[in-house]
Amino acid sequence: MSNTIKYWKGEEELARDPKFLAARKNEFAEALPLDEVLSEDGFELNSNRRDFLKFFGFSVTAVALAACYRTPVRNAVPYLVKPEDVTPGVANYYSSECGACSTGCGIEVKVREGRPIKVDGNRRSPISLGGLCAQGQGSIASLYDTERLANPLKNGAEVTDWAAIDAAISKKLAEIAAANGRIAIVSSTINSPSTLKTIEDFKTKYTTAEHVTYDAISYSGILSANMADFGKAVIPSYNFGKAEVIVSFAADFLGTWISPVEYSKGYAAGRIPSMDKGMSMHIQFESTMSMTGTNADYRFPIGASKTGLYLASLHNYIANKTGATQIPVAQTAEAAGNAIAKAGDALLAAKGKSLVVCGSNDTNSQQITNAINMMLENYGTTIDLTNYSNQYKGIDKDANALMLDLQAGKVAAVIFYGVNPVYTDNAKAWENGIKKASLSVSFASSKDETAGLCEYVCPDHHYLESWGDSEPKAGLYQFTQPTISPVFNTRQAQVSLLTWAGALPVLEKDPFQDKGILSQKHHTSPYYSYIKNNWSSKLTGDINVAFNKCLHEGVWTAEAVAPTVPAYTGAAASLAAGINTKTSGMDLVLFTNVAMRDGSQANNPWLQELPDPVSKVTWDNYVAISKSFAAANDIAEGDTVNIKSGSVTINSVPVIIQPGQANGTAAIALGYGRTAAGKVGGSKEIEADSVGKNAYPLVSMTNGNRNYVVSGVEITKADDTYHLAQTQTHHSIEGRDLVKEGTLADWKKNKKAGNNAGDTHVYTIWEKRDYLKDGSPNHRWAMAIDLNACTGCSACAISCSLENNVPVVGRDEVRLRREMHWIRIDRYYSFTNTAKNEFDGNYVTKEKEIKAIDHKQGDKGEYNHWENVKVVHQPMMCQHCSQAPCETVCPVLATTHSSEGLNQMTYNRCIGTKYCGNNCPYKVRRFNWFRFNDNDHFDFHYNNPLGKMVLNPDVTVRTRGVMEKCSFCVQRIQEGKLTAKRSGADKNDVKVETACQRACPSNAIVFGDVNNPESEISKLYKNERGFTVLEELNVQSNVMYMTKIRNTETV
Amino acid sequence: MFAAISAVSMNILAAQDKPNAEEGKKLYEANNCGSCHALDKKVIGPALRGVSDRRSEEWLKQWIKNNKKFRESGDADANALFKEYGGAAMNIFENLSDAQIVNILEYIKTAPKPAAVAPKVEGAAATPQAGGNANMYVMLSLVGVFLVVLLILSKVKSTLRRLAAEQAPLDYPLDSSNKPWISKWLPRAMQNMNPVVMSLLITTIVAVFALGYLYKFGITEVGVQKGYAPAQPIKYSHKLHAGDLKIDCKYCHSTAEYSKQASIPALNTCMNCHKGVQKASTATTDEISAEIKKIYAALDYDPEKIGAEAFGNNPRPVKWIRIHNLPDHAYFNHSQHVKVGKLQCQTCHGPIEKMEVVQQWSTLQMGWCIACHRNTGVDVENNNYYKALHEKATADIKANKNKSKYFSADGKVRVTPALNGGLECSKCHY
Repeated sequence: MSNTIKYWKGEEELARDPKFLAARKNEFAEALPLDEVLSEDGFELNSNRRDFLKFFGFSVTAVALAACYRTPVRNAVPYLVKPEDVTPGVANYYSSECGACSTGCGIEVKVREGRPIKVDGNRRSPISLGGLCAQGQGSIASLYDTERLANPLKNGAEVTDWAAIDAAISKKLAEIAAANGRIAIVSSTINSPSTLKTIEDFKTKYTTAEHVTYDAISYSGILSANMADFGKAVIPSYNFGKAEVIVSFAADFLGTWISPVEYSKGYAAGRIPSMDKGMSMHIQFESTMSMTGTNADYRFPIGASKTGLYLASLHNYIANKTGATQIPVAQTAEAAGNAIAKAGDALLAAKGKSLVVCGSNDTNSQQITNAINMMLENYGTTIDLTNYSNQYKGIDKDANALMLDLQAGKVAAVIFYGVNPVYTDNAKAWENGIKKASLSVSFASSKDETAGLCEYVCPDHHYLESWGDSEPKAGLYQFTQPTISPVFNTRQAQVSLLTWAGALPVLEKDPFQDKGILSQKHHTSPYYSYIKNNWSSKLTGDINVAFNKCLHEGVWTAEAVAPTVPAYTGAAASLAAGINTKTSGMDLVLFTNVAMRDGSQANNPWLQELPDPVSKVTWDNYVAISKSFAAANDIAEGDTVNIKSGSVTINSVPVIIQPGQANGTAAIALGYGRTAAGKVGGSKEIEADSVGKNAYPLVSMTNGNRNYVVSGVEITKADDTYHLAQTQTHHSIEGRDLVKEGTLADWKKNKKAGNNAGDTHVYTIWEKRDYLKDGSPNHRWAMAIDLNACTGCSACAISCSLENNVPVVGRDEVRLRREMHWIRIDRYYSFTNTAKNEFDGNYVTKEKEIKAIDHKQGDKGEYNHWENVKVVHQPMMCQHCSQAPCETVCPVLATTHSSEGLNQMTYNRCIGTKYCGNNCPYKVRRFNWFRFNDNDHFDFHYNNPLGKMVLNPDVTVRTRGVMEKCSFCVQRIQEGKLTAKRSGADKNDVKVETACQRACPSNAIVFGDVNNPESEISKLYKNERGFTVLEELNVQSNVMYMTKIRNTETV
Repeated sequence: MFAAISAVSMNILAAQDKPNAEEGKKLYEANNCGSCHALDKKVIGPALRGVSDRRSEEWLKQWIKNNKKFRESGDADANALFKEYGGAAMNIFENLSDAQIVNILEYIKTAPKPAAVAPKVEGAAATPQAGGNANMYVMLSLVGVFLVVLLILSKVKSTLRRLAAEQAPLDYPLDSSNKPWISKWLPRAMQNMNPVVMSLLITTIVAVFALGYLYKFGITEVGVQKGYAPAQPIKYSHKLHAGDLKIDCKYCHSTAEYSKQASIPALNTCMNCHKGVQKASTATTDEISAEIKKIYAALDYDPEKIGAEAFGNNPRPVKWIRIHNLPDHAYFNHSQHVKVGKLQCQTCHGPIEKMEVVQQWSTLQMGWCIACHRNTGVDVENNNYYKALHEKATADIKANKNKSKYFSADGKVRVTPALNGGLECSKCHY
């Protein structure tokens, strides 16, 4: 029960570190130089009375002169010819497809007066199902990045004329093809039928051309395993919603693995407890604490290099019970707590409705996973190989072979499309190869590591400027349409390829082409015609109508095919050889996090500032080490380490002591340490420091696949220290219990399980708000957040920032606790209650006990309790308290309460006393220390005119010296109400979705009018799991949280 | 109009014999021929002078009555003409009799040629004036300078006098009582007052008045642009369009009902009429109005040409001067007020239909907004959205409960925006 579990956000808080305790008392992270000011030390100014008078006189004169300044004249410039579908002041929405990664979530783009300002999931898309991850949300900011290439480059110099570039490249390609030289197109996964046809057209013209797929984050292991077992090199479709038991071996399927938004939607649906169905059980085996691991009911820390052995043990446990063939492996592995037996029994009990996934890129491990799923009869139910996924198609062997050929000078021309291999592993080999090729072209939209070495850079459009189609899954097609005219002199890569292939459709000469205002209606891209031509064979009826419908919907599906059980040709007996049984020292896991993924969006400040869902670190990557390793090597947080594996060393990497990190393992995120990303992500050319360290050099080829687990790595303490900008304990909980949890078994007996009410102060000096009274004619806006559904993915935070013009503050300001996010996700650790199990005595309930246990275990060299933590994610934003403590302390009434339950913040009235922030029990108010939008010290896009294009025109851009906080997206509430009023709709038909709710890939957030008895929110308000945080303060918050229910025996 | 036409045709029947130019002129105007034609220049249709020389009367009769039928009958000339004018069909005038057509043609034949008019020199657009009265500032600063000079001079004078007195002591006391000069003007009772106390007193009184004035000035005047009426790049007259011609405001400001912005119309809206209407309302000749020429210039439109050919490739948007400037932190939505609140444009914009040059009519200060929100009734009865509020209010008033809430400032019973949260900060500030 909540009053027995000790929750903590960071070790400093848990262990009551004296420095932390002292700092917590201070209002500001850094001491204000008050003493200096008072004693006048440290000030060069030697001012006296006369100086004072001079300054005073000057100020008065300056103010007087400034007052004489004329109000500036402002212009209003209407359209010459207003496009019919544009109404100034009203947003348009277009269906498209997200281009941030190759997953291909269907999106809905919000466009105001011709500029996209927000992207959200398209509800019709089976990939996004209306949600969108943090990367997708943030990708809109990359459109307005001034460091995108404005023109094509030839040998690094800008060329404005595409025709000249085309002529030169076409000539060169023709020469190479004539001499029978190889031409290689290296791309990330392409699942667009039209792009694939483009490449075919290119190959027809240049017969020596070949196409190789190279994914920075590879799923080659699954592809090869399925090739071996089922004869199809594809990734299946996983249906997490149907799975009653999910066992994952280090697959971060909610955060970064293959199609996380789709999986989150399915997963979260199965995680809401219901009386008849209960809820799904999730068991995770992994080394480092992944975001998915934080959501597991049971999480077992294992050594990463032993994944195959654990899988084999699970396989054999199940095979033993079902009588199937066992894998003849000498060793068996068993994690503490009879993990294998527990997982095996659970899976067997849910045969046909379970799912085992494995995040390893090792073919053998994936084949064992296939064998387990085959035994469990999961094919055709939770795993669909009929309607397989095309989201990742890169086979590492092929890409590696090309790289070796390129390096050997066997490839005459190389064209890079959507890839940046010089940044990833084997950078040197790629670099040498590019130099040896007689023609090298990159379609990169900025001068990245690879493009910088290429002879030609033909910048591609941003995906929001492009036309396109895709087939992310067999039979499922999605469409991309431009939502803005190209910002720079860029050109879609397909158009470039088709131009060189001479296959570009020739558009009929538009009679209005040079006719000024008439031409705007007739602007078409030849690639649009190309795609439409391709679709004319698939679509029935008038192609114009049918294709427009496709664009409008964003999705087109072929006739549905029911999934079948595929013919399995694998044999358990042959899988033993590939299992690693050797112990080989420390394992280092190379993972990706939700903000940076493969690193291609490193120049996006919104993503850089997004706290990692687990470690809460911003603006850097780090090595996650276990407590036992830290203790043994005398490493503390703030220290740095050197990593050495073979010939590769990475020096001075900051460390995090990660609760849940398996002993004997460490982990570091990929996607950092860019050297040619730009001013935000790091660039050698303009001397901008890299953000974090590049861990790609540690990736190696093992058994034909790129291996993201490095064995036998040496980690040694380095001399320097480093202060990570980590937000985890910035808004301290003061030891209060803010989250509640219970078990499924208890919940089935008593629906209020775990939700025992606090000791509420019922007395109040304030009158009850009108909207809380029965029969109130007002709305009462409120939010409900299901802690069972929230996975911690942080998509809401980016969505909120872009909706509400929240600035990026940068690493130094985050270190000073000045991050501006209106919504943060509090991540609470608690030790697994294992008192009844094997770690007797590790039952931590009171904060003081941790040191005693550390001491006791530490003497034995064991810190097993640090490996076994569980996590609750709690999105925290302004709670819109009906009796808000902030409102009563504001001296100027800048924060007041509305008759609809909103806690209003009026920026133009605020004088910045910060009393409200200090009096807020939830610590959700943010103070604007600077004018971030116009201060070049904060060079994060908002300070330049192009970057400002992403601002939401319905929300004020706050200035320096005022408080701000979550407004419940009041601009959306007002818009929703107005829409209803205009049409005379009923008050209860007002439709409002907040930005966080709209983005959420797991439907954890519900917003609405509690006074509307039919609304989803009013039903949730009656749910027994509901509780408000710090209920005992009687602030009557308008955000209801649903108690977290775990499918475990004990909490 | 039909009445007018029939009345005119009656007259014509009486004098059918010879063509009557006067009747023709009336018919020409009654049938709005001028909206597409001019006598001496091409508008939408060709210039009409000399048309009887170009075509036979029989041909013209058929064309004018029903040019569509005429074209379909396969007349080569008719079809050629139709093609020449980019397929813009002329209206059908089956109501005109042959005699009437003859009269119109007679009018075209006999209409006087316009006297040559020297082209007007276009005056440079006046620089817009925003903000306070610059003259007042000049005056105030001059007064300030004079005062300073006066002060310095008097100081110099007294210093000189003191120095002179030190060097050559006078045989009489410098000042009878050594009192400051100002005390002579004071009432006798105050003359013996401590000079420090006295000067403090005077300073305080002056300061109170000065600050009071400044406060009032600061509160009510600074940044308020009421009456701001800058010269616009095109001298568009609301008086002519909205007042005399009674064009609905929302014909041009078409988004007022749907959007937060009423929006300045795009020039294609202007062209709906001004493709045809090219003369100034006061013009005596066929010369295109200088202001309408500016529209054509902005669109790079050549009125002499037809169809797509008329548009050049160098359009330049019109930079209107924004009159109503709300600060960025205040959100105002036109559709809320126009569509839901059913307010007239004039409520805030004043008698716009009488303004030759538009000016800011209201102060646009928050107090002005609030005053209206306190006193204006919301039509809760006829909008389903307000059903709950309406029921509550009706029940309350019937039960004599909370009745004071429903009295607005003028003592009438109504549901005001203020009652429904219309005074709350985040209704306009977010």
